[in-house]
Amino acid sequence: MKLSEIAQVVRSKNAGPRRLTFDIMFGSDEDYRRVAQSPGLSAETIGGLYGVPASEVAIFPYPVGRAIKVVLARKIMAGDPGDFDVYGAQQHAPLLGIEL
Amino acid sequence: MSASGRILREIRANRRPLRLLGASGQLGYGVPTPAFNAGLARKPDMIGCDMGSIDIGPTYLGKGEMATSPESTRRDLRKVLLGARSLDIPLIIGSAGSAGAAAHLDATLAIVRDIARSDKLTFRMAIIRADTDREMLIEAIRAGKVTGLDDMPDLTEQDVRDAANIVGQMGTGPFRAALEADVDVIIAGRACDTGIFAALPTALGFPTGLSVHMAKIVECASLCCVPGGRDSILAILDDDGFVLESMNPDRRATPISVAAHSLYEQSDPFTVHEPDGALDLTNAQYVAVDDRRARVSGAAWHDSTDPTIKLEGATKIGERAILLCGSADPRFIAQSKELLPKVAIVVRDLVCEEAPEDYTLRFRVYGVDGVRMIVPPGEAMPGEVFIMAECIAPTRERASEVVRTCKQFLLHYGYPGRLSTAGNIAFPFTPPEISVGPAYRFTVYHLLHVDDVDALFPVEVETL
Repeated sequence: MKLSEIAQVVRSKNAGPRRLTFDIMFGSDEDYRRVAQSPGLSAETIGGLYGVPASEVAIFPYPVGRAIKVVLARKIMAGDPGDFDVYGAQQHAPLLGIEL
Repeated sequence: MSASGRILREIRANRRPLRLLGASGQLGYGVPTPAFNAGLARKPDMIGCDMGSIDIGPTYLGKGEMATSPESTRRDLRKVLLGARSLDIPLIIGSAGSAGAAAHLDATLAIVRDIARSDKLTFRMAIIRADTDREMLIEAIRAGKVTGLDDMPDLTEQDVRDAANIVGQMGTGPFRAALEADVDVIIAGRACDTGIFAALPTALGFPTGLSVHMAKIVECASLCCVPGGRDSILAILDDDGFVLESMNPDRRATPISVAAHSLYEQSDPFTVHEPDGALDLTNAQYVAVDDRRARVSGAAWHDSTDPTIKLEGATKIGERAILLCGSADPRFIAQSKELLPKVAIVVRDLVCEEAPEDYTLRFRVYGVDGVRMIVPPGEAMPGEVFIMAECIAPTRERASEVVRTCKQFLLHYGYPGRLSTAGNIAFPFTPPEISVGPAYRFTVYHLLHVDDVDALFPVEVETL
């Protein structure tokens, strides 16, 4: 099953101009647990999708919000020449196809 | 006595839960009237509005311009001002004018004074400036009191001199000082969004952890609800927790939706760093009061042993001009990655005949790789693409020269296998080149380590 088939929200946004944060939210505790326990959503997988080393991918399980947070460093600071997404709100797409 | 003095005296004499109305998370983009009026009907003790953010990028901060239009900004300011004056309660606005530097604050104050004049309002207004003194900052760099945020390179004295604007994010203290100055309205430059809503409860002795947690949620209005939205939200705070209720009956604050909001735009869902301490949400609890109200408790607060102010600054890097066009030619699209840099060389050889290569020229091919950090290999090519060429040059004229030259030679560039010899690109209108104005980048995103985090933000009072 793909992440997009089970998550209720998959979003990206800046957390300050140098970090990109992804929130993955679920409609039930069961869905949350299934994904939180899946090896599919690993720092290695996510690092590979965004071209960053796994050591630079931080994953925070957040059961009280039925959510998983992922944080990456932006390669280009928000608004710098060459930036392509100042708010960072359209960087979530590669996560949608993660196989769980 | 003015509104803040009255509220402080009233609740100090007769302690009761505090009612705070979060009117807008982005004042100037519209405050829905039905929910705002419903909020006023609940007799709040204060109205707060956040007006800015760093998310909008460096240009507004650098240029001193608001992101919102003057008309909608005036309409929103008038709405919240009239609402607060009708109930004689404090109105607190933070990060005035989108980025909170002097130009933004002054533009906001000018609108507020104009509204006061035309609506015949009289009130006392506190003004809190957030601009960072350059000499002080240079001294702080020399003393090793400035550190980069999120791997930002060290701040140099040259960065400080070159920046168009540098602001610090004030915390709760300056807002508290303004409330104690017996005022009706507080307009602050760049500020932590929590300061807007945590100042009144902490001035009254409500627990800091709960006050800051509540502030962090209501500054985004009803974004913490399902469905999330910009309608006003009411928080009722007591000594053990707070209850959240959207003023739009269709929006529900549920334990899950409110808890999930702690993720928003944060790199750590359990900790929020503030100038004088940290909010600790490890033991936060969220329970349903009914199907559209949630009660929140459990947030803790840890005073900092190393108080810091977050600094933001932007520097002008040139003038920007862009070219907008599209292509539907499969051969052109398939070769665009190789072909566009060749066009850039043709352009360079022409515009640098009598001038140095003093500009940058970039292409983004929307439909192929205009938006994503990485494109998976072997992805099929689209039927058509949108191309944006962007030039940043020392002058407006130079940037315009580069994109106009680029347009002509991109249109007629010959490449292997070309069939459409009359032109490679389509324009939805002409001229397809646009001078965007000055371009900026963030050069300051640092922490200033300082003993007294509030002393940097003096409070002035003006009577209107």
